[in-house]
Amino acid sequence: MNRLGYLILYICLGLVALFQILPIIWLFLFSLKSNREIFAGSPFALPSEWRWENYLTVWEGGIGTYFWNSVWITVVSIILTSLLASMATFAITRMQWKLSKLVLGLFMVGLMIPIHSAIIPLFSMFLNVNLIDNPWSIVITYTAYNLPITMMILLGFYYTLPREIEEAAVIDGCSIHRMFFRIILPMTTPVLSTIVIINMIYNWNEFVFVNTFISSDGYKTLTVGIQNFIGQYMTDWGAIGATLIISLLPILLAFIFFSNKVVEGISSSAVKG
Amino acid sequence: MNKVMSNKWMIAIYILPALILIGILIFIPLILTAYYGLMDWDGIGTMEFIGLENYINAVQDVKFWDSAWHSSLLAVFSTLSLGVYLAISMILASKIKGSDLLRKIYLIPMLLSSVAIAQLWIKVFNPQNGVLNQLLLAIGVETPPNWLSDPDIVLYAIFIPILWQYAGFYILIYYAALKNIPESLIEAARIDGATPIQIAYKIKLPLIKGVVKVTVVLAIVGSLKYFDLIYVMTGGGPNGASEVMASYMYKLAFSTNDFGYGSAIGFLLLIITLIVTVIVRKLTADEEELQY
Amino acid sequence: MSKKAVTLLVMFLTLGLFVAGCGDEETGSGDSGDGETVKFMHLWPEGSSAEHNRIVKDIIADFEEENDGVTIDLEVLSNEQYKDKLQVLSTSDELPDVGMTWAAGFMEPYVEGGKFASLDDIVEGDLEDTFVEGTTEAYSVDGTTYGLPLELNTANVFYNKTIFDEYGLEEPETYEEFQEVIQTLAENGETPIALGNKDRWTGSLWYMYFADRIAGPGALTEAIEGDGSFTSPELTQAAEEVQNLVDMDAFNSGFNGLSDEEAKSMFMNEQAAMYLIATWDLPNYTTNEDVPQEFRDSVGYFDFPTVEGEGDMDSYVGGPGVGLFVSENSEVKEEAKDFASFFVEQWGEKSVTEAGVIPASKVDPESLDLPDMYVEVLNDLNNASNITLFADVQMSSDAADVHLDQIQALFGNEITPEDFAEAHEEALSEEE
Repeated sequence: MNRLGYLILYICLGLVALFQILPIIWLFLFSLKSNREIFAGSPFALPSEWRWENYLTVWEGGIGTYFWNSVWITVVSIILTSLLASMATFAITRMQWKLSKLVLGLFMVGLMIPIHSAIIPLFSMFLNVNLIDNPWSIVITYTAYNLPITMMILLGFYYTLPREIEEAAVIDGCSIHRMFFRIILPMTTPVLSTIVIINMIYNWNEFVFVNTFISSDGYKTLTVGIQNFIGQYMTDWGAIGATLIISLLPILLAFIFFSNKVVEGISSSAVKG
Repeated sequence: MNKVMSNKWMIAIYILPALILIGILIFIPLILTAYYGLMDWDGIGTMEFIGLENYINAVQDVKFWDSAWHSSLLAVFSTLSLGVYLAISMILASKIKGSDLLRKIYLIPMLLSSVAIAQLWIKVFNPQNGVLNQLLLAIGVETPPNWLSDPDIVLYAIFIPILWQYAGFYILIYYAALKNIPESLIEAARIDGATPIQIAYKIKLPLIKGVVKVTVVLAIVGSLKYFDLIYVMTGGGPNGASEVMASYMYKLAFSTNDFGYGSAIGFLLLIITLIVTVIVRKLTADEEELQY
Repeated sequence: MSKKAVTLLVMFLTLGLFVAGCGDEETGSGDSGDGETVKFMHLWPEGSSAEHNRIVKDIIADFEEENDGVTIDLEVLSNEQYKDKLQVLSTSDELPDVGMTWAAGFMEPYVEGGKFASLDDIVEGDLEDTFVEGTTEAYSVDGTTYGLPLELNTANVFYNKTIFDEYGLEEPETYEEFQEVIQTLAENGETPIALGNKDRWTGSLWYMYFADRIAGPGALTEAIEGDGSFTSPELTQAAEEVQNLVDMDAFNSGFNGLSDEEAKSMFMNEQAAMYLIATWDLPNYTTNEDVPQEFRDSVGYFDFPTVEGEGDMDSYVGGPGVGLFVSENSEVKEEAKDFASFFVEQWGEKSVTEAGVIPASKVDPESLDLPDMYVEVLNDLNNASNITLFADVQMSSDAADVHLDQIQALFGNEITPEDFAEAHEEALSEEE
């Protein structure tokens, strides 16, 4: 391509990038404003008075516990989802058995359930096994509800893995577990990083399940922290903005880390292969 | 080889944990939803079995079909947008300078929760102070539209933030798929004198076809059961102009005490999604896939 | 790692998932030694309703002190989440021992499902003469009271005195004067009235006041209960007047897509001259320190004007907001009732002086140190000839949804007043 072409391309890419970064700036300004300014002024106007006390309000609202709960519930759910989804996808795409198509179909149907249909049945199920107001109910729900979409994403990648790898491994006398954990999983690092990012966003921002299954303050997560500022007749939007910024930071860092892995993975596994 | 890869024990160990989990946590609620659909139940008092009445009512319910139409439109737009996302991913995955930074920036909005996205776009669409209408006024449009209150426009207006919200998700998947293509293949084509556009069409696209098909299904399923921003930004209004299946179901089950009827709608939503998915899978299936 | 070890590990991991939770001890009612635990749910989170939240905490502390061995187990949710959770809890018979409910339409399914306990013994016993006349009726089904009202709100037109003065306008007492005010404001490029009709009940207030003034105080309630009809000429005219206002450009543009909160902010940023809202908003115009003093001083309110000489300006649209219920299936019903009753006794004066709530229990405005506007509102209430309960609260939730959607359509000029009336009749006849 010629120079002019590149110039135009970069201008376009730059504009889109600007457009994508504005929401973060907006949210940051939002978090430092009062309700009046949030509704009246231009979204990108600087706050007339930088209300850092919004962050103080949020901090005093006991966000620490929520934060920790969000972190561990998200992490444990991601590990479980990634592992179980990888295993199941491996079995469906690489192993030979009659019912594989049917089972795949079941997972796809799992993708289609509207969560609001599931809440009431799930609540009574958890109640029966005494899992209400227990964070593990959230972990297993997140794991289960993210399994189908995670598997769908993995599926496309597993189909493209060359068969020769397994053949070679089997000839070498490698067990299935060894093949899966030592060869297949490392090879799928790029897509694993992708599903980690996606799961992370889903789990981190989810609140319908937490709100329904958890009642003790000690088990609630950050998204419920936002609810703290929504009142019967009035809502403290500045504090909500501050909560959103605080809750954005950790996943932003994690995102940048895993985003690099999406690229790194393939080169490192290519070397091994 | 075949013996090892078809060991029943091993298959069970790999598939059962996931299968049991979704069996309990997704399929039991699913069956219960279908079952509640057979009941006259406000979700509070006692249930009364009424057979297929809810399902029959739903099939004749104009509001339901309107919401189904709106959801289908969203599905069409989401699917079409995949082309744009794919093009962006191709540019980002090519070895141009700064692509790494650009990619990260492009994906940042997907980290925002729906609460934040809804607030942002409510401010964009505000008829008086909104960014969009201020812009339109500035360039000389005299009566800019009332984005979220005009029943003819609201549906399309609200699609914009939804499509924007999901852009990152698909770009991320496409990007990972593109990065999975062995560099040697592209290098070989380049040496043969292929242009970047030819490489994209002839080499990259066929290689990530499986991933593209999956995203088509995800876009359709995701759109048909879409709920979040619609609920926060318009509540399905004005007067149902932006109601989608999931928001209609939620309204019935949780706001108007028709839990039985809402469940029936929820189940029909699933059936519709299932039928559409099967059709799409059939249309996009090819021989290569049947081998697996 | 050997093959078997990995296999086992995987299996344990899966099993562990299910077992992990089951072992945890049960939290909630009845496990704290010999004392009783009363579970209480409310919707005033600390972040958004600091004063409400603190008063509740104080009341709980006082109650626990007076009643040795009784512990109150508290859960706080935001408004929407509260409603959803209450329904989910109800399906599994897990309602809190004491909780909050809205009047009439919201409450009825719970009463019919046998979920709420009768509170007649409290209302006729300890709390006799505590409540403002008519407020407990909104929480009654077939003569039995199931809720103890905590708030009482009436809707009034709040206006910006500065803007009114600028154009030499005065509080209108008749609809003609009101129209003149609107016209003057509109001609001068001001937005006369802020309306956020995405929330729908906001528009309903306007229709209800026209109905009250044109058809008389009881007409709307009669129509809802089936003793009258929405198709009557008077109620149809009420709908027509709504559209007249819309055609006069009385409201901000795009109101059907704006939330009440956004409309409120227009009023509070002096971008609109008038705003019809209920008295729960009083703190914003009196005591709320986050609102500039200057603005608070410039806000006044007037009662909805008479229309064509008809109507009684002492008749209001309004009603109790939330009230307390006691769960019928509670294992600690006696303690729960004691707590609910204690709560109401403590709530009255504290809520108005500390949180700016107009309580549903009687208070003497003269004996309390209150902003003028509060005294005025409380006096209005004492002199009220009638309070028509918010239409969407009165109706069953099904009919309410039709009503609210029709309100949006009416304001949006999508339908005629006749269509509006027909749709209501149809929705209400389906109830029978």
